[in-house]
Parts: sequence; structure tokens; C-alpha cells
Amino acid sequence: MHLTRLSFLPGRSRWSRRTAAILAALLLSAPLGEGMETLRTYLPAAEATPTPADQAAPAAEVPPAMAPEAEPVMAKLPPVVRVNVASQSYNFSQPWRKNPPVLRQGLGVVLTDGRILVTAELVNNHTYVELEKPETALKAAAQVEVVDYDANLALLAAPAAEFLQSIGGARLDETAAVGDRVEILQLESNGTPVRTPATITTIEVGAYPVDENAFLVFKLSAPLQSRENSFTVPVFKEDRLVGLVMRYDPRSQTADVVPAPVIQHFLDAAERDPYAGFPRAGLTFADTRDPQLRRFAKLPEGTGGAYITKVLPGSPAAAAGLKVGDVLLRVDGQTIDQDGNYEDPRFGKISLAHYVSTVMQAGQKLPILVWRDGAEIPLEGTVAPRDRSRMVSQPYIFDAPPKFVIVGGLVFSELSRQYLREWGPNWTREAPLHLVYLDRYQNELPANRGKMVYVSSVLPGPNTVGYENLSYEVVEEVNGRPIKSLADLAAAVDSPTDQFHRIKLAEDPGLVVLDVEGSKAEEERIKRDYRLPSLRQLDGAE
Amino acid sequence: MPTALRSFALLVVAFLTTAAQAAPGPAASMVRISTTAQQPDYSVPWNPGNVGSGVGAGFVIEGKRIMTNAHVVSNATFITVVKEGDPTPWEARVLHVAHDCDLAILGVYDERFFEGTKPLEFGGIPALESTVSAYGYPIGGNRLSVTTGVVSRIDFQTYSHSEVDSHLAIQIDAAINPGNSGGPVMQDGKVVGVAFQGFSGAVAQNVGYMIPTPVVRRFLTDVEDGTYDRYMDLAATYFPMLNPAQRAALGVEEADTGVLIGSVFDSGSSAGKLQPGDVILSVDGLKVYSDGKIDLDGERTEMAEVFERKFKGDQVKLEVMRGGSKQDIALELDRPWPFEMQARSYDKRPRFVLVGGLLFQPLSRDFLDSQKDVDTRLRYFFDYYVTDHLYREYPEVIVLSEILKDPVNTYVAPFKGGIVEKINGQRIRSLQDVASAFGQPGEFHVIELLGEGRPIVLERSVLAEASERIRQRYGVTTEQNL
Repeated sequence: MHLTRLSFLPGRSRWSRRTAAILAALLLSAPLGEGMETLRTYLPAAEATPTPADQAAPAAEVPPAMAPEAEPVMAKLPPVVRVNVASQSYNFSQPWRKNPPVLRQGLGVVLTDGRILVTAELVNNHTYVELEKPETALKAAAQVEVVDYDANLALLAAPAAEFLQSIGGARLDETAAVGDRVEILQLESNGTPVRTPATITTIEVGAYPVDENAFLVFKLSAPLQSRENSFTVPVFKEDRLVGLVMRYDPRSQTADVVPAPVIQHFLDAAERDPYAGFPRAGLTFADTRDPQLRRFAKLPEGTGGAYITKVLPGSPAAAAGLKVGDVLLRVDGQTIDQDGNYEDPRFGKISLAHYVSTVMQAGQKLPILVWRDGAEIPLEGTVAPRDRSRMVSQPYIFDAPPKFVIVGGLVFSELSRQYLREWGPNWTREAPLHLVYLDRYQNELPANRGKMVYVSSVLPGPNTVGYENLSYEVVEEVNGRPIKSLADLAAAVDSPTDQFHRIKLAEDPGLVVLDVEGSKAEEERIKRDYRLPSLRQLDGAE
Repeated sequence: MPTALRSFALLVVAFLTTAAQAAPGPAASMVRISTTAQQPDYSVPWNPGNVGSGVGAGFVIEGKRIMTNAHVVSNATFITVVKEGDPTPWEARVLHVAHDCDLAILGVYDERFFEGTKPLEFGGIPALESTVSAYGYPIGGNRLSVTTGVVSRIDFQTYSHSEVDSHLAIQIDAAINPGNSGGPVMQDGKVVGVAFQGFSGAVAQNVGYMIPTPVVRRFLTDVEDGTYDRYMDLAATYFPMLNPAQRAALGVEEADTGVLIGSVFDSGSSAGKLQPGDVILSVDGLKVYSDGKIDLDGERTEMAEVFERKFKGDQVKLEVMRGGSKQDIALELDRPWPFEMQARSYDKRPRFVLVGGLLFQPLSRDFLDSQKDVDTRLRYFFDYYVTDHLYREYPEVIVLSEILKDPVNTYVAPFKGGIVEKINGQRIRSLQDVASAFGQPGEFHVIELLGEGRPIVLERSVLAEASERIRQRYGVTTEQNL
């Protein structure tokens, strides 16, 4: 039995957070010492004189003009508030249920107009969003104004002016580049800012948390410590917002950041109603580095080009007349190199995906020059956000209940990746393989396939004898009608052709039959016994 | 695949042999089999493969033959047999092997081996709770071992040798261990089963399985014409019909009768005869209960047992309810071909084509087991090959399984693991197609994989040189085995 250092620790570990906060506050009030370093000024951006990141700005050096009406100490607070979120996700396996609520804490960045920027991850499925002033713990309810889960950004409505009193507004950085020193801002539980120096190591188009979204990412090298406000941690360069941390890998000590250009696009798009989000071309491409491929495609030596491998039906790329096998040479005047990059004036070689999604706004014309059959062909499209209603399986569903229909004890659901995620982090291996396959390769399905409706579970009863083992069979037809959505299924069971519901499945056993009257009786029993308010939820997420 | 099946252990054990002495019971019929086997290497298919050895049991049957398990002699390069009380190893050979029911018949080159041996006779299915004795060489012992137990259960079981076939099997609680494989399980002086598999690890204890005599007899009858034809299959799926509404809607009046046809597989026994939605009411005049059972020889057993006992070309008569009226349908039984891709294979060299360092192999269980990372698409193609009728478009699923890195293919690396759709414009449906498509004339070879992605292009002008370089560097002995 080793006691070692444990014997020294109990007193300390029993400190309440409150005690710790008081002690920290005492430290801060001291005129000198470590506390001073943390009290760096975040000046309101409009009039800001950038404070060098490596120099502490003592309180006395704040230009008087910068100091708001409140006491000087408060004026030196960074432009952040705590954002406390109660969130309750839906249970997609039992779609009438909500999961137990969870609490998340993050930092919101106060923008110059008083609105508050957070990551979308922080507020997804929120039931209550609350702002908290770091120093005073003053709280105020907040509203989510705009949320973009693709880009992992959300905007909260500005709270009352007095709430933000003494907290400045952050402006977006427009200069950060590879090699720059920046600071990651966190707060101690007592409100003391903690700044971790970091270096921008890479700027590239990378994966965002949901779906297979790829936008600009800044990668930082930083020894970040875990703190309670783990969702949404802002990064500043001097007084300007560089981005929001969306991922941190403690082993490699790298942080992935949603950077200012993506935030700027989000804020610009949020000015317009309805929110259109980030446009897409609707294509995938491969590099043309392989000299054998270049000779096969008769691409001239020394030029670039991205080989189009997929054009989504109904997408701007399809409307422009792009075809698989075309090679993209220029897009909106930008020359495309062999990797599908263009030359960005600030970031250097960056994927074309960044240009289309973030540099351009939805609705802009997109002139394209492609190489086809040994000749250059000019095409033109209009970039537009992706039409999620065309997707067979939604990549994510937040803030809306899952759709379901219960017929006589059989529970039917509509395929979404959110449903498959119920199998946990290894869902691609553990969820039903044919559903994972349908979701993953949904672009290969016929264009008119519609949604996938399947038996997600069985609430056993006299009506479902023999059907207890049904699991995840896709429904093809009900009562002779093709099923391309849960609404189709609901309509089909509302109009039986005789005393039976005939449910044709794409997989074995192929045919399930329910008694119409028996089902009605069973549905009453299910409503009562399982205490379900309704046996249908059709106006859920699209 | 249910995880329980994975925990089956085949009962072979590696050990050396020395002399043994006579033992009681069927000692005069017992044979200790030593096998040297070479396992094929599916990850480097031109490699000769790993050589190993094992010991199993066998017993003499009439006709100067030895009965044992298929897994005792699979992939064998050299087999010797030793009888009780005779220290001489005699060289043996496989006369017939049935990998789908894990049985094999051996002959001995020098028939003097059989002098002094006594062929064993087969009995019937032992009763539940009756006592049986298993004979063999468990854990590699030289001396004959006898364990005794009772018959615990008679049921259909997956035979783990092929991993896809299931037949009748008898569970006994006699200790059965590696080395018992192929040994006889006796009752009243007759063989009532051939020990073949058990559970290993913490899953269960005292659970051993033997192949019952109906399966053994079927094998013996099947090979009477000199070749083994495999088990026959309906090549259709059927499901219990326990729901009254389901029965009523399909016009089945009797409450306890009928199974529903779910899928019918092309080119199988039922293709063109049965349809999804048909209800099988009886098989060869035997009523089919709605849980898929029949009464056969006084036992309530699986309907499949009727097909199990039949041979290639045999007829089966079905009474079927279709669209509310009864029909009599006669089928001629055949092999379950689409399923064979999912079975483990033995005594075969891996098939492949290698072009410019690009290795093409047909998808199979052995191939899949040799791969480290298997993506969603390949897993789906394997697991759903039969049920989603993928065999229609892909009689063989050809995988670009490996890229032997060389200047000619240095940009091809990301395509590893893809399914080949077309080569030089030709749709690929078999490994033979791969070989013939590469024979087409032209300046480039163009390989298209399933799904998104650019074509893979190989210039023929540099290919011959590259192939020679790759052969040398990677020690490739042959560039194809079709």
C-alpha cells in the first residue's frame, strides 16, 4: 500500500470551488503578482490599439478613452461571457423519449453589436441557454438566433445593454497566418482569464464535427488544460478573435479552430433572412498528379486541374453541366492546381472547397473552365447551399424530435445518421450494416429513392406475435403504396384496402401482415401502457 | 455471424506420435492420424503458405477405409496413420472430403495396414440422456483415451469448419478436446457419432458436439458414385408464420401450419418455382408446422432435415399456398451456390491476378480474414451477398486488394480495398474477366472501381518493364492463378 503524496492532499482536495474562488479573487486584488499578468486588456475593437500579446498591459496604462463608465478593473475584461446550456437530446431508438438533460459550459465571444458567438456544438438540442458574467456571476437567459451545424457556429441574441456593461466587443482577426502566435482564452472557475499561448501551425481545409463537412481549419500547437468551460474556447490574436476551438487532442497538443474567415462568412450570411449558410458546388474531385492519368485525360504538361469524380444530382455543378471525368481548370477566375487548390492571397494554396463554400456567398455566379475531351469548355453555375431535403439520410438532426409512426406495435423510423449514432462512437461497425451502408453510399441510390423507412423496434403484444425478431428491415410498400417517407407510410396505413395492413419489406421475411382492427386496439393499449402522448411524430426534423 | 459460433474450436492438436498399445472397446478399429498441412496465404497469394502439423483421430469402416473429420486432413500435404498396438506410421491419402459437413474418408496406400483391424458399424440417433463413449487422442496423447457422457441435446448446429453450413449435431457432455476430432462416439458397440467440435474458453463447459449418423450415412451414400456433390439446398429463405393476421391474409386456414418464403435465390433449386410470399404447407407429404418443424422418424425436427437427406438431382415435393390457392410444386435439388462464397475453403490455392503491382482477388471468407482493415462496403458485400442478391451483378466480387508499390502505381495507393467495376470498359464479373479485360488492346489500361473516384490508369508501354521489376522486388513467383 503506497500512501506517498496522498497524505498531503486531502485538505486541498476538500476545498470547495467557492473557497478556491475566494482565494483566487484575493490574489487578483493584490497590486502586484501573477494576477496582473492575467488582466490583459481587450479593447473595444473600433478604437483598438493592439496590445502586443507578449506584454502585459498594466491597468494604469489603459487609455482613459477606452475605459467605459464602469470601474476600471471591469474594463479590462476580455470580451467573453460564460454560456451555460441545458441540453436534452432525443432518443432515436425510442423516438418518443428524450434523453436525460446534460449541462454544458462554454465561453461565448461578445461581438461588437452585443451578440454572442459560440460553437453550434455548445447549443445543440438546447432547452435553456444562459449567459453568465465571469466576474460577477450575473446571469441572463439567452436566445439562439442563428445556428449552422455544418460550420459549427451559432449566434446568440444580444442581452440587455446593462448586462454587457464593461464587457467590450471582439472584432474578427483578418491577418492571422501560419507561424503566428495567438492565445487561447479560458476562464478559471472564479472568472480569472487563463491565456495559453499557441502557434498556428497549419491552415487547411479539414473535417468539421458533423457530417463530412470540410471548411477552413486553423491548427494550433498549444498545451491546453482541461477546464469546465470546454465547449467553445475562443482564440485571440491580440484583441482580435482568431477563431473558436472545436477539437483538442491532448496527446499531440493540437487544437483545431473554426477560424475567422468561416465566422465572417457565417456572420455575413446571418444578416440575411432566411439564413442560407455555406454554398456548395455539389461535386467531389480527385487530384491529377498521376502522370499516367494526365496523359490519359490528355491534360497539357505543366498545368493543373482537378478530376471530377462525382456530380450530385440537382446540385449547382449539375446545373452548370459538369460531368464526371471533366477536369476543373479555373473556378471564378482562380486557377486550380493538380491537387484542387487555388492560390489564396492570405493562406497560400487552399482547397477549392474553401473558395466555393466560404469566400463565395450563396447565389453568386460561378464561372467554371473545364477540360473535356482535349478542349477547354467554359460553364457557369450559381452556388447554392445544399438541399438537405434531397438527402436520403440526414447527416444530423438537432433541435427537432425524430420522426416515427407506430402501427399496431411495430415502430417505424426514417433512416438518419443521427439514428445510427445511437450505437455509440463505433457506430459504423456496430449499427446494422445495411443501414450504415445505405447511409454511407446514399449518393449511389436512385435519385427518386426518397427516404428509407424501416422497422426500428417492436413493442410486443398479441397483435405482433411472430414479429418480435423484426429488426431494421426496410419497408418497400404498405397496402400497395410505395413508401418513400414516413408520411407515405402514415397515409398508407390510414387507407387499408381490406381488414389487413400488408407491409412489404425489402429484406426477409419479406411480408408482414397486421390486422387493421387488432392494430387499432393495440395502439390504444400501447398509448396507455407505455404512456405515449402520440403514436406518430411526423413533423420532426427535415 | 453470431459470436457464439466464433468460439467453437476444432479439435485438432499438434503433437508427436510414438507407439501405442491395445486398448479396450473399439481399439482394434482406432486410427491416430498425423497430418502435415500447408495453409494458403491469402494476403500474399503466390506464397507457398505456412506449414504446420496436427493430430486427430479416425476409425476403420468397411471397405478398407478410415473415417475422420475433414478438418483433420484439410490442406494436407502428407498424412500418416497409426493403428493401436502397431508403431508403424503408414502413409494415407484422402479419398473423399466433405467440407460442408466436416467429414473425410481416407485410404492407405498399402492395404496391409488394415490387417487385424475391425471395421466399425454405424448405429442410429442415441436417445437423450443415454450414455455414450468418445474415443480419441485428446491433447495429443499417444494412448487412446475414453471419456463417457450423456446425450444432452439433438439440434441443428453451425459446423464451424465451413462456418456457413448447419446440420444436425448431437451435443454430449463427455469431455471432448482437441485430438478427439474424427474419433468415434460409441453406444452398444456401434458408432453413433463422430466427435468434431466443442466450445472453448469460458463460454460453456462440458459441451462437445458429434456428427450424428444420418449426416455420416448421407456422406457415405453421396460418395458411392465416386464424387462428393455437397449438401443440397432449397436456395430460398423461409420464416415461421406465427402471426394469425399473416396466416389469414395469405389464406392459410390451419392455425399451426406453414412457413413463409422470404427470398428465392437465382439459379438455385427454387428459382422459377417458388416466389417470395409463398407459404410451404408440406414437404414430401410431411406437414410443415408454422415454426418450421416437421415430424420425421418420430422426432420433431427442422424442415431442412428433409432437404439434408437428399442428393443432387433428387426431387422434393412441396405443397404451397400461393395467392389463396394450393399448388403442388416439385423441385430438383441442387447446390447452394451463392453461399459458397461465404464458406471457408480448403485444398485450394488462392486465386488472383497481378498486373503492374495491382493485386486483384475475389471476395471470400478466407480473403476477408486475411485483410487488416475492411471497410463498410466490403463488409456489406460479404454479409449481404446472398440476402441482397448481390451475386446477380457480381458472380464474383473482385477486390483491388493490394498495391505492390512501384513507380508505375505510386499514385494508386489510396484505391486499395476498392471493388472493381470495369477494366478497359469491360464489366468485371469474375476473376476470369479481369484476365481477359487486361488482354484488350489499347494505349492505356483503365480500371474503374465501384463508387466515387477517378479511374486508375496504367500505361502499357511501361507495364512490361514494371511487372518484371515488381516480380523481382517482391518475390512474385506467378502473376495469376485463375
